[in-house]
Amino acid sequence: MADAPLQHPDADKLTGMEHEKQYDFQLPEKYFYKSEKGLNARVIEKISYFKGEPQWMLDFRLKALDIAIKKGAPKWGPDLSGLDFDDIYFYIRPQEKQGTTKSWDDIPEEVRNTYQRLGIPEAEQKVLAGVGAQYESEMVYHNLKEEWEKQGVIFLDTDTGLKEHPEIFKEYFATVVPPEDNYYAAVNSAVWSGGSFVYVPAGVEVDVPLQAYFLLNAQQIGQFERTLIIVEPGAKAHYIEGCTAPTYDSDSFHSGVIEIIAKENSNVRYSTIQNWSHNVYNLVTQRAMVYDNASMGWLDGNLGSKVTMKYPSCYLVGPGAHGEVLSIAFAGDGQHQDAGAKVIHAAPNTTSSVVSKSISKGEGTSSYRGLVQIHEGATNAKSNVECDALLLDETSKTNTYPYIEINEKSAHVGHEATVSKLNEEQIFYLQSRGLAEDEAMALIVRGFLEPVAKELPLEYAVELNRLIELEMEGSVG
Amino acid sequence: MATLTDNPLLSAGALEAVIRNGGDPEWLAEERRAALRTFMATPWPTERDEDWRYTQLDRFSVTNLEPTDGPASREVSERIRMRMEDSDAEGILVHANGETIERIAKIREEGVIFSDLRSAVRDHEDLVREHLYSTVNAHAGKYHALNAAFWQNGTFVYVPKNVEVELPLGAFTTADRGGLSMGRTLIVVEDNAKVTFLDEYTSDPFDARLFHGAATELVLGPGAKVRYLSLQNWGRNVAHMNRLAAKLGRDARLESLTVSVGGDAARAEVNSSMQGPGSESEMLGLYFADKGQHYNQYTLQHHEADHAFSDVLFKGALRDASHAVYSGIIVVDEGAQKTDAYQTNRNLLLDAESEAVSIPQLQIGANDVRCSHGSTTGPVPEDQRFYLMSRGMQPEVAEHLLVTGFLYEVMSRVTLPKAAEYVERVVQAKLGVPGVKEKL
Repeated sequence: MADAPLQHPDADKLTGMEHEKQYDFQLPEKYFYKSEKGLNARVIEKISYFKGEPQWMLDFRLKALDIAIKKGAPKWGPDLSGLDFDDIYFYIRPQEKQGTTKSWDDIPEEVRNTYQRLGIPEAEQKVLAGVGAQYESEMVYHNLKEEWEKQGVIFLDTDTGLKEHPEIFKEYFATVVPPEDNYYAAVNSAVWSGGSFVYVPAGVEVDVPLQAYFLLNAQQIGQFERTLIIVEPGAKAHYIEGCTAPTYDSDSFHSGVIEIIAKENSNVRYSTIQNWSHNVYNLVTQRAMVYDNASMGWLDGNLGSKVTMKYPSCYLVGPGAHGEVLSIAFAGDGQHQDAGAKVIHAAPNTTSSVVSKSISKGEGTSSYRGLVQIHEGATNAKSNVECDALLLDETSKTNTYPYIEINEKSAHVGHEATVSKLNEEQIFYLQSRGLAEDEAMALIVRGFLEPVAKELPLEYAVELNRLIELEMEGSVG
Repeated sequence: MATLTDNPLLSAGALEAVIRNGGDPEWLAEERRAALRTFMATPWPTERDEDWRYTQLDRFSVTNLEPTDGPASREVSERIRMRMEDSDAEGILVHANGETIERIAKIREEGVIFSDLRSAVRDHEDLVREHLYSTVNAHAGKYHALNAAFWQNGTFVYVPKNVEVELPLGAFTTADRGGLSMGRTLIVVEDNAKVTFLDEYTSDPFDARLFHGAATELVLGPGAKVRYLSLQNWGRNVAHMNRLAAKLGRDARLESLTVSVGGDAARAEVNSSMQGPGSESEMLGLYFADKGQHYNQYTLQHHEADHAFSDVLFKGALRDASHAVYSGIIVVDEGAQKTDAYQTNRNLLLDAESEAVSIPQLQIGANDVRCSHGSTTGPVPEDQRFYLMSRGMQPEVAEHLLVTGFLYEVMSRVTLPKAAEYVERVVQAKLGVPGVKEKL
């Protein structure tokens, strides 16, 4: 069965890609500086000091800490009682010097080997416009192909972005996701480190993806990347983010904030496939401001982590803006994927579409949590949401919590959700054609995910394929 | 943020007077006292509570409202008289300002009990004691704790095994002035028995504000069949808080319809617990809010047993800066395999100032199930309006026709022609269809 690839437009390019055991890494912990455990002003001052930040950023961080303390953790959603801030290192600096290199050779060998195993340098050569790599709390590698640099595209780690482009940075930073937005955004604002800073000038179409890969290696670490993407009028960009971490007994914490500004007539896509190990709490805020006639697409794949809470959102603030969220979640034993989407229609003629496909297996729980809001005056807004859940075992669970708030007469809003199990007749048919039961199940699951999977970048489609096969093995009992 | 404050008239002393005046037996007095303790210990809901975040709480305030103390006249009002004549009920009770003022019963079937709740406590104490508070009690929330402690009177229906009550039974709840009133309906239908019941809330206009709290408990034994209609058509100064909760035994079938067309603000909570395998619950809802009315409807389809079926359809239309909330959840417990559960909410927005909120939710803990939900909100379809106009219809007439047609889908699933006709008339009167008056 491993030979039958996912039906993907680029399927013929798959040969030669090696994917075995690529996530099975665990390096000796080496770092230049490791903060004390817990979240407090001392830790924040240390972070800011190491980074040599301007005073306003330190002030911003400290204010965000106050906001976080005042807000307190949310009381809704999945069980987060296992997440103990006092037991987390909020900042781990892998190397002494600040800033990134443009050469893989400058990166310590064992770290480089990990990225090589993940196929990142190879993919950079073949299919990407630029690559960033974050290890623990800092970006270690960031490189953009010359062709794009010449056209004025900026692709840097966020810390360098702050240093080298303070005007652009200050104008947009924390405007899409202010620290007041939610507890985890406030925590991120206080201790953020790393992430990507992307700026695409007006009219420039970056038609191959930019990619960042986030690795956690240390135990009990918190990673708080902050990504800021500004796409000027008529420009185009596709950003891909991948995440992984080795498995430890103790829990880790990842809480990124991603802010996107999609100006008039721009086209922006952001794809994430997280395959964090099953001891990571993954609580992320992703939001885009979408202006006149611009198009924003989120592709959100949640395969790993212990608990995920992530609801990519589009604020459609310009007439004719379009927002799209494609969401895939796979919750295995002990996992809770609380994913979803938020779309705010605040201007006339805005349109949005949300498609969510989730699979729960064993004791896993997957939830769709969403919001569609149509403001008064957002005339002729259209929104459609579709959620399909597949339950593989008697013990698997699924929840759907869509919130729909409509304040405009001319709005057309629809929401549909279905829950089903694997169809026995389909399995029986495939078995009668000579497939083993687990092969038949894997095939049906892939068919279920197909509408979303075909939108995935190639290497992630392969990854998803591999993961499903892995999960299906031995599921017959 | 709206804050609700306590009403000093709802004290332990006041409750003792209620118990004394009603001549409650000791078990009921104790239930009431326990409910008051729960009421006191429960904070008022706020907009920060998930179940109340879309509710305009100040419109459900009970502050400064005095518990009602019977009607000025024990005459049945003209309004109710006409409604009674228009229904083809076998038995009718009229509750006014918390007191039962009329009972007509021409029930032919044997063993059927149809009486006001206080008389039932006296005459059928064991039956009432066994089932009262079994589906709606003080733990259902602040308002329901208030009702559990202070309920004034209500309706009791008991249908013994294998008895089918042919014609509907019903109760009219009304008021002639403002204040705070609370009623309860308890319907117990034994194995393979059958009954139809209509709870109607209606009043002529009066000046002061009235808060009415209603609790409806439906107990369906194995194979029982119940049709239940709650029709809220209060005058415009009334806040109505209603919780309907049913538990269904094996192969029982419930058809419920909750209609909200009157009042200033209304909140209906409709819960069905499928406790017996093979039980079925059809839960229908219809609302039409105009002139700033505020309606909340909450549904719960709780599948505790396997092989059960439930289907929610709530449809509503809104205009003149009105506000409606539908929030429903299907909960399938672990082990409730072969569940079939559906949930649909459709809203029609007739003006830009109105607001509709729709939250259809699923919580599925078993895998061999068929569950789906759908929600749509939109204006009157332009192409349909255009078609009707192309056939020579005036734009208003086309809109009236399309709104009634939209809501009619719900009414058509209820086999209570008289009630369906009445609701249609009320809807048409609200729409301002020429020549239609909401005949009293």
